[in-house]
Amino acid sequence: MEREWNEASGTSLSPDRIPPLTKVEANQQGYRWVAITAMLYAIGIILHTVSPNVGGVTINWTIAMYCIVINLTKPPLTRAIGMGFIAGITLIPSSKSAFPLGNLASEICGATTCCLLLKALAMARLGDWKLAPLVTGFCSTFVSGGVFTFILRLILNLPLGVWLKVMLPVVAVVGVLNAVVTFGLYGPVKKLFFAREGGRTA
Amino acid sequence: MTNPAVSFAHYYFQYSSGRVPALKDICLDIVPGSFTVLLGPSGAGKTTLCKSMTGILPYYQGGSYAGDVRVLGESTKGRKVSDLAMRIGFMMEDYESQLVSLTAGEEVAFALVNHGFPPGETEDRVRRALAEVGLPGRENYQLDELSGGQRQRLALASLLAVRPEVIVLDEPVSAMDPDGAESLYKLIHEIHEEHGTTFVVVEHRVEFVLPYVTDLVAVKDGRIAVAGPCGDVVPALYADPALRPLLPDLWQIRCGLEARTGQSFRLWRSVAGAVDELRERGMGPLAVRKEGNP
Repeated sequence: MEREWNEASGTSLSPDRIPPLTKVEANQQGYRWVAITAMLYAIGIILHTVSPNVGGVTINWTIAMYCIVINLTKPPLTRAIGMGFIAGITLIPSSKSAFPLGNLASEICGATTCCLLLKALAMARLGDWKLAPLVTGFCSTFVSGGVFTFILRLILNLPLGVWLKVMLPVVAVVGVLNAVVTFGLYGPVKKLFFAREGGRTA
Repeated sequence: MTNPAVSFAHYYFQYSSGRVPALKDICLDIVPGSFTVLLGPSGAGKTTLCKSMTGILPYYQGGSYAGDVRVLGESTKGRKVSDLAMRIGFMMEDYESQLVSLTAGEEVAFALVNHGFPPGETEDRVRRALAEVGLPGRENYQLDELSGGQRQRLALASLLAVRPEVIVLDEPVSAMDPDGAESLYKLIHEIHEEHGTTFVVVEHRVEFVLPYVTDLVAVKDGRIAVAGPCGDVVPALYADPALRPLLPDLWQIRCGLEARTGQSFRLWRSVAGAVDELRERGMGPLAVRKEGNP
């Protein structure tokens, strides 16, 4: 049964010499990220609806969810922008702010921040850094909240000092909460979706 | 000349997360119509070999490769796993993960519907496949109404409905009790006999497949250690102390007797067969002991 190769013909390889290998990307990548994104966004919308607002501070579950998705699936920038756009759309119906459409811009900026940060970490050979969800969760929320409140400031014609001294500190507090949530949920979600592969292969 | 059912030509495979190839310089032909058993220690590369046969590696899960794998004469390069599955079926060790539908009928019909089989033929194939695995009339059963063994048979029915020429089974009885394992292998043997399907089976407990196996392939450290018809491979496995434990006790006893007595014995397929031959030769238990330990 074992094929016997003719050494004289040169078709047989030395047992220890490994020929150049051709790399093949996983074909399953095209679909699973969609399911993961949809599921986590749905969870995010439900939690966003039921979470109480305490003194203007509430966890932004939607941002936490797309941060987890982006950390898990490491999408290209265009896909991350699309994820932010969809996240923004999901926030508009339930938004009680003066300008709900501002969510579109803010979430696109948040998702873009998360994606670019991860790419920067990967370039710095920190792609598997365990604190990446914590850092990206904070930065994305801060950027998203900063953009959203800045748009509000423009629409409501508020002084710059109000934005800097009142709004941004609240955004930073929400950012810290979101960072903790993103970091806390990342591990279990990764285990749930990627247990079979023993790693990230969305 | 007939094409091998599956053919590896200097095939290497390395997982994306791996530092060294999991399979190295695999040159192997699986004989059409054979009942081939893959043996090897844990981590030797048996499952990787099975996934490479079915195109899952590297074309679905990714990875790096060199060489070629051919299924029934056609290279797997660039082929979709779903297309290959029409010719080579694969039941994974974790067969539950292959079950995706709500009812037994839907499960068996899944591949057929996705490949555009007409409704009438789909229904007919589903009915026959379920009957073949001993689940007749269970089309409307919810999957959770079936026992673990029945779900395993259902996974096999899903393969049979497609009627592939080659079926690869990765430790199909790993979670079964001995009676269930014997029953499933008996069923597989009947299908093998009736349809002439080529079976490639990964099995640690070779005693279950003793009556049926025609060829053996031993994998060690990602390489083919030895491969061929049982009669040729068993002595080679026995001669290698590292591979000897892979042989079932009965064949180890046979090889040991051959070594000690200088006689040649048939390849015993059962304990009864061994006892019969020993009696024919006038080697009852006492005689064997005397000859074995003079």
